[in-house]
Amino acid sequence: MKITLEKGDHVLVDFKKADEVHYLRWVIIDDKTSQFFEGTDKPPKLVYSSNFDGSVENHLKKLSSNDLDAIHDPNSLESVDETMNLTDQIYGCCEGYPTDRNPTSRLNYFKKHTVKVSAFYKGSPRRTVKQILQENELRKHIRDLLEKRDWNNMSSREMHDKLKAEVFKDSRFTWAKEKFRMPRINWFKFVLLIIVIIILLPIIIIWQMIVQFGYENKDKYFTTYRSDIPTKKTEFLEEYEDLTVGEDPETGKKDMVINYQNQFSQLVDMKPGKVRLITFKAMMLFARVIIPIKYVEGTLLNIPTIHFARWVLFDDNKRVLFFSNFDGSWQQYLGDFIDQSGWGLSAIFSNTTIFPRTNWLGITGILSMNNFMPKSKTFFPGGAYDEEHFLAWSRSTELPTDIWYSAYPDLSIKNVNNNSRIRSLLAQNLSEKRAEKFFELI
Amino acid sequence: MYTIELEDVQGYVLREYENMKFSRFALLKASDPHKARIWINSICGQITNAEKVKKDELPEIALNIGFAKDGLLSLGLSEANLESFSPPFKEGMVTPHRQRLLGDIDSSDPEKWEWGNPDKNPAEIILLVFGKDKETCLNYYEKLQRNFEAHGLVATRNLDGLTLKDNKEHFGFRDGIAQPIVKGSGRTGPDYNCVNPGEFILGYENNYLVFPDSPAIFKEQGDVNMLPPSGARPGLRDLGKNGTYMIIRQMQEDVDGFWTFMKDRTKKEDGSIDEDASIKLASQMFGRWPSGAPLSKFPDKDPGGASDDNDFLYYDDDRSGAKCPFGSHLRRMNPRDNFEHDSPEKSIILSNRHRLMRRARLYGDPIIGSPTNHKPDGDVGIYFTCFGADISRQFEFLQYTWSNYPKIKQLYFDPDPIIGVVENPEVKTVGYGNDRHEEKQLQQFTIQGEPYNKTVKDLKRFVTIRGGAYFFFPSITSIRYLCTILPEKES
Repeated sequence: MKITLEKGDHVLVDFKKADEVHYLRWVIIDDKTSQFFEGTDKPPKLVYSSNFDGSVENHLKKLSSNDLDAIHDPNSLESVDETMNLTDQIYGCCEGYPTDRNPTSRLNYFKKHTVKVSAFYKGSPRRTVKQILQENELRKHIRDLLEKRDWNNMSSREMHDKLKAEVFKDSRFTWAKEKFRMPRINWFKFVLLIIVIIILLPIIIIWQMIVQFGYENKDKYFTTYRSDIPTKKTEFLEEYEDLTVGEDPETGKKDMVINYQNQFSQLVDMKPGKVRLITFKAMMLFARVIIPIKYVEGTLLNIPTIHFARWVLFDDNKRVLFFSNFDGSWQQYLGDFIDQSGWGLSAIFSNTTIFPRTNWLGITGILSMNNFMPKSKTFFPGGAYDEEHFLAWSRSTELPTDIWYSAYPDLSIKNVNNNSRIRSLLAQNLSEKRAEKFFELI
Repeated sequence: MYTIELEDVQGYVLREYENMKFSRFALLKASDPHKARIWINSICGQITNAEKVKKDELPEIALNIGFAKDGLLSLGLSEANLESFSPPFKEGMVTPHRQRLLGDIDSSDPEKWEWGNPDKNPAEIILLVFGKDKETCLNYYEKLQRNFEAHGLVATRNLDGLTLKDNKEHFGFRDGIAQPIVKGSGRTGPDYNCVNPGEFILGYENNYLVFPDSPAIFKEQGDVNMLPPSGARPGLRDLGKNGTYMIIRQMQEDVDGFWTFMKDRTKKEDGSIDEDASIKLASQMFGRWPSGAPLSKFPDKDPGGASDDNDFLYYDDDRSGAKCPFGSHLRRMNPRDNFEHDSPEKSIILSNRHRLMRRARLYGDPIIGSPTNHKPDGDVGIYFTCFGADISRQFEFLQYTWSNYPKIKQLYFDPDPIIGVVENPEVKTVGYGNDRHEEKQLQQFTIQGEPYNKTVKDLKRFVTIRGGAYFFFPSITSIRYLCTILPEKES
């Protein structure tokens, strides 16, 4: 099921009304009738993943309520039970879904099937959907004022003061008076973390050697190329990158627009054995610790295009799901992985099967970060740095995201953070120099 | 150290054939694979290679050949071997996904293309014929054409290209100045402009130090011993070695619309035309002045003449974009040492992972546009041609990420003003709560400056795609090999 996302006339409009969901997706896994799971003996499963404001409890309550309208497909001959709601319509296909359907029974069902996240990243910490959308309007309003008024012979500081007064007068922007402080890197904790890592270094090095000589060298590697992936599969995945595939109800023509955001869903199997599991879990722990300390300003491992990302170890520690919501195209995103964070990716995914041959968990990639890629092959870290094989691996482990929703498909994560910076600076009293910086942002 | 087997590489990848002012790209359709192979084999000896030639020994004619997927099929290459080509080549330039990625919508919709639409007028084989002037080129083509009929070949379309004074394109700007230098090609240049051979020639290491995805022989056909062993796929023969992919797009240029827009947006307060200001705005959008001089070095005025100046970077000289706006075509297409927020050293490495070897030939009225001369006689445009070993990471990345995607650097609504603007911007719901309203997607060009950035709003699209295709541009050895294959049906 592929659904239009931003036309406002589809099922997800209810979530839009809810205004607390940033992104959501439904992905079907282990469906042996799909080309992605041919030959599997596992029963098919429906995976729901969302990024929302507020507590899990509240989010699940919303999903369990009676309020979500069912989808009425005008082309379908099947009549839909008018009393049915969206949640029942979707989950009614799932085994074990309560037959006595009410908010409580649904909530209990969802709680029972909730899977814990292993690591999670948000590109706009501490901001709700509401704040993100409001701040975007604020930025546009400031831009309009700049263009409409005459600012001759004014210093940047005077301009800032005048803009501030004008915006605060406007009843639409009273919320902007409330101070917002941009999340900042916690350098103290970061240094502490580095010290801990240095202390642990001997153990890490020994562990790396165990992984390298005891496992990696004996493993089977991913050695295929993008051309080896069946064209049918690539084309199918590419189709799911076109986010607005809605049809014009009158002409039946598919919508043709250029999209600015995209999704990535990936499912991989863990390599067998405790060593791989411990390494993976250690990387997840590392991610959980470092993300709130270091990656709070809109970049994850220097990648400036990720809105949300999550890793989920599930199925009795045997499989890993990776979901992300990002700006731009597949090639751009996967390219960023290699260019900016190949070592992190390699250290995580070299524990899954099968991955391009990785040396020292890809961590030598860090050493070459400033000068970037090693100039010679001697210290080649492999893994994600093995560009062609990594891209082919990414494609071959990717899944179509059956349903995907974005609350702000026109905003890049850089836009979101820039808007917050503008909002934060607007409310302050700025020196001339800082006021000049303020205007660079607009 | 790298060494490319230049004598086996077709010339147009590394040579511009600058002295050859006229070209004819003939789109051929083969009805008889056997005869077509005989004919192609007969011209192999004439194919121009990539070896460096001294200035006074430059030939007067040149010949190269490329194959789209349908062309390889009609020569009889088996499906199994075709599958080994890279995904964009296999799928072709026209898929619903690629249309959205490349922006081939509205007037540029492949439905309206003059050639290259797989359902209506697919490209198969392209013969690239060059001559020092029109007569030389067409005489040479005539000679070649004499044998078409006997070999079941039909020229379905001739794309005749010319070059204008100072290598200017129809909008009036000197083109093709900055090209990457390929290591091992015998050409040299500053380090920051050098790339590994595998960026442009298959069968060699690319900038990631790995072998690019190169087609190989999976199912034995013809005389495979002619082909070198594959570096990427041990045990297989490399069909791609010394070859590459060639991308051709026919871009119609709306010269009148372009200069009318520039003049309209730079009118003086009293409503009169300000020619200099219109040239400046157009140059800011391009990133170079009509002469080719870069704005980052000459921010105020065109020094004139014909400039080949390519010796500049951005980080030290123009980090804020005050001289050459971030959104300019030039800066987007090669951010040099100022890639997003990365350090200068890293920026160069990243920029060089997305380079193109560009070639361009013009068509139509030989007009060189300016504020006073912008009404061409009939359709004019450019046969934009480029080469790259990875269509997805190079050409498609540039067209989507750096052109159509409006959010590079800190920009919000700025597509590439020359090649990325959408004709009919989408109407979207924006805002929050009660303030929710519909709004047309903005398209603007931001000019960085003090005290605040200025914007040129409601950009217009000046380029229409009229045709295009992805071609395999094989080595001369691989062309000879292709002439030995026997399709399953024939053998």
